[in-house]
Amino acid sequence: MATSVLIGAWVAAGLTLFMFSFLYKDNPFFRFGEHLYVGVSMGYTIVRIHYDVMMKSLYGPVAQEGKWWLLVPALLGLLVLTRFVPKVSWLSRISFAVIVGFGSGVAIPRIISSNILQQVQGTLKPLLNAGSSRFGMAELNALLILTGVLTVLVYFFFSIEHKGAIKIAARTGVYFLMVYFGAAFGYTVMARMSLVIGRFDDLILFASRDYAYASLVLLILVTLGLLLWERGQHRSS
Amino acid sequence: MRELAGKLLRLDRRAIFVLIALATLFPLVYPVGLPIRVSPEVRRVFDHIESLPAGSVFLLSLDFDPASKPELYPMAVALLNHAFRRDLRVVTMTLWVTGTGMAEKVVSGVASEYGKRRGLDYAFLGYSPGGANVIINMGQDLNAAFPADHYGERTADLPILRGVRSLRQVTYVVSLAAGTPGVESWYVYGKEKYGFELGGGVTAVIAPGLYPFLDTGQINGLIGGLRGAAEYEILIGMKGKGMAGMDAQSATHFIIIGLILLCNLFYVLAPGTVVRSFDGAQDRTGPSTGLRTGSPQEGQR
Repeated sequence: MATSVLIGAWVAAGLTLFMFSFLYKDNPFFRFGEHLYVGVSMGYTIVRIHYDVMMKSLYGPVAQEGKWWLLVPALLGLLVLTRFVPKVSWLSRISFAVIVGFGSGVAIPRIISSNILQQVQGTLKPLLNAGSSRFGMAELNALLILTGVLTVLVYFFFSIEHKGAIKIAARTGVYFLMVYFGAAFGYTVMARMSLVIGRFDDLILFASRDYAYASLVLLILVTLGLLLWERGQHRSS
Repeated sequence: MRELAGKLLRLDRRAIFVLIALATLFPLVYPVGLPIRVSPEVRRVFDHIESLPAGSVFLLSLDFDPASKPELYPMAVALLNHAFRRDLRVVTMTLWVTGTGMAEKVVSGVASEYGKRRGLDYAFLGYSPGGANVIINMGQDLNAAFPADHYGERTADLPILRGVRSLRQVTYVVSLAAGTPGVESWYVYGKEKYGFELGGGVTAVIAPGLYPFLDTGQINGLIGGLRGAAEYEILIGMKGKGMAGMDAQSATHFIIIGLILLCNLFYVLAPGTVVRSFDGAQDRTGPSTGLRTGSPQEGQR
């Protein structure tokens, strides 16, 4: 096995154990791993931005292909940095105006079309088609979705007092919301468990002889380190 | 019984961590092979790729970073295996700068298993800044959005992209996403305007929010979380990381369901029990005291 792979496995196993050590309590191993993560992420992002943006999308096209107009967005980007100089910080507003103007112009029509009009159409269409065929499960689902949409909208309609029929509808909307929160929570648990499984999977792999029992050795070292740290804490208090 | 319930409610939370760790560890070391049913939304992505003729342009956007690797990496491996088996022209990219290295690794790794050549059978365009704006730019001029691929080769010169000037020439797009920009950006700014078919593969956290778009046909299929990856692996007959993790997933879910039921039972059986909350503050449980949802300070009072 290549030395770089072996070193990578030891670093990965060690940092995973450092982060897991937080489950015991906040400790220096965890804080080291946390700070390292932030630093490495930022460093990696800067390097990638340099190569993928500054070199590939700006320097290359401008210097080699003569696409000088790319300097305009580059200048707008630089103007954002004037926020750090109070005297000329007003210049950054030009960039923000372009970002907000362009962003709104692009996003608003697309979002209205995709997230509102098409969703309304998708909610009503199955029911409009239901008249031509027998009422089956698909139609029942469509009816359930329509009831959910309408009652949840009623729940969030605060301009009139929730009394009588409005109260019943709003209450039904709350039940629909509860079902959604339950489903979302279930999926979230699944996602978090998947992350644990992913790390455990790697730890098991790195515990093998091929990786010089990295996970096992480091688990012992981290445990010993935590014990020593705990003892030091106890003494100082 | 009431005393026992009170004792268990006061149990150190670290006992739960150990329980979850054991429930994860044992099935990974000793897999049971619990059956996995393939859901229709995952099958639709598979069926669509199956229906594509060889040489069709398949764009896979790996819109995630290493934080979501356990869920989305197995999906990427499965989809790339399927696409290379079907001899599709595989074009890959990422909208997440921190995912660039990982995306390159999975694409080049799976391609080398099939003996596919970079630039000829597949391409990795890398990262381009702008999020959703990159999709709009690709819809107008792909070479403008990515003047060069990840390795610095001019995209206009890549044989795999011959005849592909924009997203209009792409047959099928799948976005493997852990957030925004991701699947939503692809259908809002890409699919509707440029007319390609779109599928999604997402982390379990964002999957529920995408089901409405599945029902309306705005996305033709959805692979959700590690479970979705396992289902896709079954469909292509591959034993990958997704399937390997499903036993552990089932075991941990079983433990969590059990704990939720027990906690609710104890909540009723031992009203007023003082328990330690996660931030070390004390809180009371039980119907007689009412459910406390306030700050730790409220609990201490």
